[in-house]
Amino acid sequence: MIVGEQKTLDEIMGLLGDAHKVLVAGCGTCVTVSFAGGEKEVGILASQLRMRSKLEGHPMEVDEVTVQRQCEWEYIDPLAPRLGEYDVILSLACGIGVQAMNERFPDSITLPGVNTVFLGMPVEQGIWEERCQACGDCILGLTAGICPIARCSKQLLNGPCGGSQNGVCEVNPDIPCAWQLIWERAVKLGREEWLLEIQPPKDWSKSRDGGPRKIVRDDLRLADME
Amino acid sequence: MSDPNFEPKILAFCCRHCAYAAADLAGGMRIPYPTGLRIIEVPCSGRVEVTEVLHAFEHGVDGVMVAG
Repeated sequence: MIVGEQKTLDEIMGLLGDAHKVLVAGCGTCVTVSFAGGEKEVGILASQLRMRSKLEGHPMEVDEVTVQRQCEWEYIDPLAPRLGEYDVILSLACGIGVQAMNERFPDSITLPGVNTVFLGMPVEQGIWEERCQACGDCILGLTAGICPIARCSKQLLNGPCGGSQNGVCEVNPDIPCAWQLIWERAVKLGREEWLLEIQPPKDWSKSRDGGPRKIVRDDLRLADME
Repeated sequence: MSDPNFEPKILAFCCRHCAYAAADLAGGMRIPYPTGLRIIEVPCSGRVEVTEVLHAFEHGVDGVMVAG
């Protein structure tokens, strides 16, 4: 899932500037389960904004809405009739949702209230870790199911490096060495041979180095849209 | 707050099984408490959400107590 983190109230107040009427728009998918921008966070932030702006002497009118997914036209289109009444929409979706709102409703200003941080998962209550960098060329079949692109600080394809000490990364002792994890899992599975082949340099053109990416599935497209 | 006559408005969310029962007992024993205190009975203090606490502050209370 996409993991987000809400911006500070000070930063959000700065972004909103002198707006009088604001719609806080949450998203019911990834940012809901990372507790950054779901219905509950929308309610809390809206309340904070109302109180803070009142204390600062320019009370804002703040409304709340949460859609199931802010990154799909079908879910945000129903918002269209009411958007004209707001000076600003503060989106608590990920960066995709914020851009979808701006693209679909070009006459409204949608600002981000959340920092989109990474693709990852909750490893325990309250802790999320990065697991994927969407590099476009998955190598998990070669690395015992553990991604060195997302989890090795140097994104090495042939590790570990000399900075791996006692199973942790030299960058930060809180980061387990991904290549240590890969090796240990391969040994446990009796598949050390997976790691004997030297991997050539990665084709980064399938990642961001090739520019913004796009997938076209003709089998899924509707005839009148071709 | 420096006003000696200031009486804060306090909203108390009280668990049905303990704090609310205690308040009920206090009433039965004719023990007075300040008029600024308002009690809402909840089935469990774990039921109280942050949004409800903020809602109370937005509507002018000076303090919120969650008792359970």
